[in-house]
This record gives sequence, structure tokens and C-alpha cells, in this order.
Amino acid sequence: MEIQYVGEHLSYGKLGNGFIVLSFTAALLSAISFLISVYRKKDDKAVWLKIARMSFAMHAISVFSVIGILFFLIHGHFFEYYYVWQHSSTILPVKYMFACFWEGQEGSFLLWTFWHVILGAIIIRKGSEWESPVMVTVMLIQVFLASMILGLTFYGIKIGSNPFILLRNHPDFANLPFIHLPEYLSKIKDGRGLNPLLQNYWMVIHPPTLFLGFASTAIPFAFAMAGLMVGKVREWVKPALPWAFFSVMILGTGVLMGGAWAYEALSFGGFWAWDPVENASLVPWLTLVGAAHVMLINKKNGSSLVSSFILTTLTFLLVLYSTFLTRSGILGNTSVHAFTDLGMSGQLLLYMVFFVFMAIALLIYNRKKINPLQEEEKIQSREFWMFMGMLVLVISAVQITITTSIPVINKIVGSKMAPPANAIDFYNSWQIPLAVVISLLIAIGQFFKWRDSNMKDVIKKIALSFIISILVTALLEYSFRFERYQYIMLLFSSIWAFVANFDYLIRIIKGKLPFSGASIAHMGIALILLGSLISNTEKTIISRNMLNVDLGKDFSNKENILLYRNDTLAMGEYYVTYKGKEKVGVNIYYEIEYFKANHETGKLDKAFSLKPLVQINDRMGNVSEPATKRFINRDIYTHITYAELEDKNAPVDDGEYKKPSTKTLSVGDTIITSNSLVTFMSLNKSQDKKSLFLEDTDIAVGAQLSVVDVNRKVHLAQPIFIIKGSNIYTKESEITELGLKFGFSKILPDSNKIELTIFEKKSNSREFVIMKAIIFPDINILWIGAILMIIGTWLAIVKRIKDLKISK
Amino acid sequence: MKKMHIIAIVVIAVALAVIVSTISNSSTYAPFRDAMNHQGSTFHIVGKVNKSKDFIYNPEVNANLFGFYLIDNEGTEKKVLYDGAKPQDFERAEQIVIIGKMEGDEFHASQVLMKCPSKYNGNQADQMKVASISTK
Repeated sequence: MEIQYVGEHLSYGKLGNGFIVLSFTAALLSAISFLISVYRKKDDKAVWLKIARMSFAMHAISVFSVIGILFFLIHGHFFEYYYVWQHSSTILPVKYMFACFWEGQEGSFLLWTFWHVILGAIIIRKGSEWESPVMVTVMLIQVFLASMILGLTFYGIKIGSNPFILLRNHPDFANLPFIHLPEYLSKIKDGRGLNPLLQNYWMVIHPPTLFLGFASTAIPFAFAMAGLMVGKVREWVKPALPWAFFSVMILGTGVLMGGAWAYEALSFGGFWAWDPVENASLVPWLTLVGAAHVMLINKKNGSSLVSSFILTTLTFLLVLYSTFLTRSGILGNTSVHAFTDLGMSGQLLLYMVFFVFMAIALLIYNRKKINPLQEEEKIQSREFWMFMGMLVLVISAVQITITTSIPVINKIVGSKMAPPANAIDFYNSWQIPLAVVISLLIAIGQFFKWRDSNMKDVIKKIALSFIISILVTALLEYSFRFERYQYIMLLFSSIWAFVANFDYLIRIIKGKLPFSGASIAHMGIALILLGSLISNTEKTIISRNMLNVDLGKDFSNKENILLYRNDTLAMGEYYVTYKGKEKVGVNIYYEIEYFKANHETGKLDKAFSLKPLVQINDRMGNVSEPATKRFINRDIYTHITYAELEDKNAPVDDGEYKKPSTKTLSVGDTIITSNSLVTFMSLNKSQDKKSLFLEDTDIAVGAQLSVVDVNRKVHLAQPIFIIKGSNIYTKESEITELGLKFGFSKILPDSNKIELTIFEKKSNSREFVIMKAIIFPDINILWIGAILMIIGTWLAIVKRIKDLKISK
Repeated sequence: MKKMHIIAIVVIAVALAVIVSTISNSSTYAPFRDAMNHQGSTFHIVGKVNKSKDFIYNPEVNANLFGFYLIDNEGTEKKVLYDGAKPQDFERAEQIVIIGKMEGDEFHASQVLMKCPSKYNGNQADQMKVASISTK
């Protein structure tokens, strides 16, 4: 008998599923019709083109409808749908509705599909001769993406993961007894909600940007394939160029946003941690920049055609590969923010293999047309140096890819390799030298003329910026005192890259905006490198913990410091106080005040206050989020690494002592209590036995203790060890002011040590936080660089589009 | 020989160097047994936290020393000392990866990588099961 479930809204899901299937079939129809229209003439062509455009429109409408319905379900809290239950909750603010939408894999595939629809619509609207052949590839990609959310099973093989699957049909729930009660829905009070780590505005703006970046890499690739399809193996480069630079700009922005997010909201304590997921989006960007540059070479002199094909294809494949890495669950133990496997890795692999074969087959078919120019590029030409730059970018991409792919290599050859234990240092040891070479090429590249230039002329032009940069480097080195030659090299090369491009902008382009795109973008890259060098190597952890005994080289971490409520500790040039905490919703804000010493008044003046937070979420665990005070020349980052979350301010019986602890000490040893340092000074054998009511034959030995409290005040205590007849007992010594009591319970004559018992009053344990504070100097150089790079690339795109119009 | 050939050789040489350096710098996923046999070498160990034993964390004494017991995939249990503050929400950690080396009978970890089951689309049904049992 069919169970009649109460309160479900099944029609929306059915409608959504209908649109998913429609989007898939319409994409397939559109791809086929575009393909046929490529090879037909005149009227016939027009008919097929019309069919292709209509089916594209149908596909677009379906995609928008699927997205609309899913939004509607999330907004209406229809928890009978697994995706809604899994990614949203009723307490979630409306502004995070978008974030819920693309938190899951299905939603992010929809987002990706959405951008292809928009980009495809632009290509169709322009309606040039390239429309049909380019759209063939774009729509084939759409067929694959639509299949990712189909959620159909053919002969036991599951295709895609459907966003409209019902909670009660999901494998995680289907076997639970309560799910088969007709009124099961009333038992599900709320959804699981959005991961608190992701509840911030970055989650609203970063995924759309990144996915637009990913989607846009498909367009230069589609142009390359189109050129091969119609036999115009050279002509595709020119119209594809603006798209390539558009992709460079957007994907670059996406990658940088990821870094900014990590810096601001996640607790990495830095801008870039070489996490596999970060790498997965950086690598395609590197090859994409290479692709855009060799395409420029090709446009100028017709060479580098093979490289243009290889790099545009490689970029697109690397985007697919990065999707595979982050979604197949293969990264498993190496990344903290990969998706888990939804059983779609096979599908993703198939997707990659299809496009690899498509590209190879088309290249082989056209091999006679793509004969490389026999003429060699001269070493004095700009294209030669640009080509070198591309090679360095590719090497950089290869290094990152191989190291990130260790889990994949393990899977293939069955090895048990793990990433290098200190992955960041390992990446840096390769990437810093490569960055040096890249920035040197950026510095000199533009001073060479296309095809050939006079070397003397080039040297004359770059001499000025070279000398200025040497001076600036020397000056900065004087203040930074880098010891590693790699850092000094990068300092110089990035400064030179900036100065040389600035020089080029002023003296050669004379500040004409339309032509200044390359110079500005390169200045931006130079600043990004310089900013990350300075902020990373010169960052200082000011929360150094000087109190602890050194536990050997394995335990040299002193980054975190304990701060009692209302105590003040010196950190760097600041004095820092923990003022207290405040709970707002699910967030607990810890108020950390920074003071500066005023040398005139001798008092502490408040500088600023920061409120890092710990978010409590029963379902997902607690997440700590740092707070950062920004100045023009540096940031002060404050992060709560550990805090006791329950309230300790409840009144405690003053008389009560905690469970005593026992310590074995030699003379001179120091131990730490919650409010003092206790040093065992000496044994005192001359006790006044009469006052202790002892006979002369009895033994009484005192342990002289010096107790230093947080205000550096010294207290003395002397517990006494007594043997009276055959009885052993101890006379305790108390320091009432500190709530401490000591007992002297044993003498260990063999090792010359004593055993001390320490009692602490419960009221002694005051509330505290463990925090970390880091100063990142000059990180704003990096952000300014990022903005310049985006502006510069935008100017380059505008220029390329104008070139296209003129050539028509 | 053309310039391009020389460049091609250089590029191939660098690519080989990348591969060799990656392999030689890589660490190994291993059970405690291997780490004990190679004292002082760095290993990645995957295992489950033994929650029946107390965590060792006395921030008032040392905020940068956290200890716990880990059972590796072969079932060997060792005490792990981590050079850092207790990670937020460690109580919920299930499978974790520790990076470091064996010193005597203790594992000295320089990094602890946690993956909570409920984060990042893991097996969320566990919590629902608990919820559904408690409603009965």
C-alpha cells in the first residue's frame, strides 16, 4: 500500500525535474543543430541555425526555471527536499539564500551552467560567422553539465545528482523508520543550515565570480575548436582574444577573492596557504595567462599557433580537472574544503576524456594546415620573451599540479605518498624562483619591439628603471634585512617589474589610457608579488608566549597566548586586554582591547578594540573567525584559538579548593599555577620545633617557596614536612591573597627532590581566552596590485574589442 | 641546433626536476608501526581519536601543547602531542590526519588536520538519526 505523506509539496519537484530533462535534451538538440548548420549552405544553414537558436532559448528557459524553482523551495523552507534540508534552515538570514543555493554541488553546477547560458547568449547575439561553430562546443559542454544534475539511473548506473531528490528517498534517510510515517515531515523541524564557515558575504560574491571565470575559459577553447571545425585554423585567434583576456580578468578576480576570503574570514592566518582547492583554481589561471599571451603573439606575427591551441585546450581541461579534484572526494585527507564524493567522478572523467579526444581528433584532422612557421623568433623580439614567460607559467602550473595531484597519483599507481610535510615551504621553494623569472620578464618584455629591436636601444630604455629599482631594493633591504637570497631577488624583480612598467607607461605610451592596459596589469601583478612577499615574510606574531618552558624543538610553538579576563599583556608595541564576551545569536564576540603606551603621561591610551568571534552551531560545530584592524601600512589580525564557551562568572564558594595537584621538584625548579609562578628556593632544616609542639628527636623540614604573582609581587610560603615518632604529616602553608595552599608531602632523598602538593581555590580559575595576534605589514600593496591588475586587464579587453571592430 | 631546441631541453629538464623533487619531498601515509620503526622521520598518520580517554590540555600551563590518543587504521593507539592550541571543536573530530614524527612512545605532531563528519556535506544523517530516536 502506498503511504500517504502529509504536508509534502511534490509538484514543484516534478516541475523542476521536467525542466532538468528539458534543459538536457534542448542542449543536445541545440549542439547537433549548430553542428549541422556549420556544414550547410545558405537556406538550409539558416533553417538549422534557427532550430539551434530556438533550442538554445529552450535550454536557457529550462535552466532559469530550474534555478528559480530551487530558489523558491529554499526560500519557502520546503524541507521535504533533501537539498533544501541539507543547505538551508529557517533561522538563516535571507541574504544567505544565494549562498545556500550554491553551497552544494548540484547548485554550483547550476551556477556554472547559468554562466554558460549568459556567455552563449552574447555569442548568439553578436551572430558573427563564428556563432555556429563556437556554439557547438559550448552546447556540448552544457549537455555534460546538465547531465550532472539529471539524477537518472540507467541499467544501474547513476547519472548525475538531482537537486530535487526528496528527503525520504535519499539513501541517508530511506532506511530510517520515522521517515516512513505519514506525518514524518512534522518531525523535521528545521534544515541543517548553511555551514557557519560559509555564512559571510564572500560566500555570496566569490562563487559566482569564480564560476564565471571557469565558464569563461570555455569560450577561447570553443573558438579554438571552431577554427578547427571550419578549417580556419588561424582566424579564430583574433575574435577569441578579448574572451581570453576577459577570462583572465574574471578568473584572476575569483582566485584573488578566494585569497582575500581566506585572509579575512578563515583562520589560516594568511592570504595563500597552497591548499589543493586554492591551487585548483590558480593553475588554470596560469595556463590561461600563457594562452592569452601566445594568442597575442599569433595575432602579431602568425607564430605560436600550436601553443595557442594547446594552451586554450589545456586551460579548459584543467578547469575540468580542478572540478574533478575538488568534487570527487579524492583530495580527502589533503584539503579541508573539498566536496565529498557524490558518485560523479566517473562522469567527470568521461567529460574530460571526451573533450581531450575531440581536441586531439580535430588537431590531427587539420595537421597539414597548422604547419608551424619555419622562421625562428629573434632573441631581440618581444614575442621571444613573451613565449619564455608562457613557458615559465606552464612550469609553475606543472609544479603546482603535480604536488596537488599526489592523491590522484596514489590512486593510479597504488602508492602511499602524502603531500610534503611542510607543503607551504615546498611550494614556495619552487614558486618564488619562478616568480622572480616572471617578474623580470614582465619588467623587460615591453621594451622589446615586435619581431626585432635594437639591443642598444632596449638597454638604454630599461637602464633608468633598473637603476631606480636597485636603489629602492637596497633601501628596502636595509629595513627588512632579508637573509634568503630568494627573497632579495623577488624583492628586486617585483620592484623592477613595477617601476619598468610605470616608466613604459609614462615615457613610451605617454599615459594614453587605451594603450596602457598591459602596463597597468603588469604593475598590478608586480605589486601582488611584492605585497605577498612583504606581508608573508615580515609578518610578526606579537602574541609570543614567553612564559612557557621550552619543550624542545618539536614544541617550539609560542604563537598562542593565554589572556585572563581584565589582565593586560604586552604584545609587540601594544598592550592587550581581554575585556569580556558577548553573545549575539549564535556568535560569541570576544572583546580584545589594544592600548598603546603614552610616553608623556606614562599611561596606556586605548588604540582600538577588536571583536573576533566564535560561532556556536549545534549541528556543525564551532567555528572561530578572526577580526582584523586595518591600517594603511599594516593589518593587525586577532584570532581566538581556544576559549571556554560556558560562563564561568557564576559565583563559586570561596572556601572551596580544586583537586590538589602534586609536583616533584628539585631546588631551583619553578611551577606555574593559574595566577603565579612558584619557585622552590631551598630546604630549611632549622625549624622552631617548640612552636610546632615537637620533640627534639622529631624531624621538621620546611620547603621555602617564592611565589610571584601577576603583578610581580613576591610572596613567601613554607610548608613543613614533619616526622613525629612513626607518623608523617605536613603543615600546610597558605597565601590567602592568592588563594593558594601548599603541602610538603614527601622527601625523595635518592634524587634530592621533594614532593609538593598545591591547592588552588576554585575562584582562582578566571575566565580566559587563548589568542593569536599577527601583524601583516603592507598587505595593502597586494590589494592595490589586485585592483590594478583588474583595471589593466579590462583596458586590454576594451582595446582588443576596438581592434576587432577596426579590422572589420 | 636551434634556440627552440635548447629551450625545449631546458623545459624538459626543469619538468623532470619538478617531478623528482615532488617525489623526494613527499611524505608517506603510514600507520604508527612505520613511524615507530623510523623514529624522527616525518609521517602522515590517519586515524580516529580515542574519545574514551581524556584530552590533555592545560592552557593555563601551556597554551601551545595539546595531547590526545589516536588509534590508527591498524588499531594501534598512541599518545599524540600537538605543538599548538587545542583545535576548535576537536571533540567532534572523527577521522583526522596528523603530521609529525615519533619520539620514543609519543607522536609529536606539527599539524593536525580535522574533518568533522557534519562539515562539508559529510554523513549528516547521523545527527538526524539521533534526533529521530530522541523524539520517540
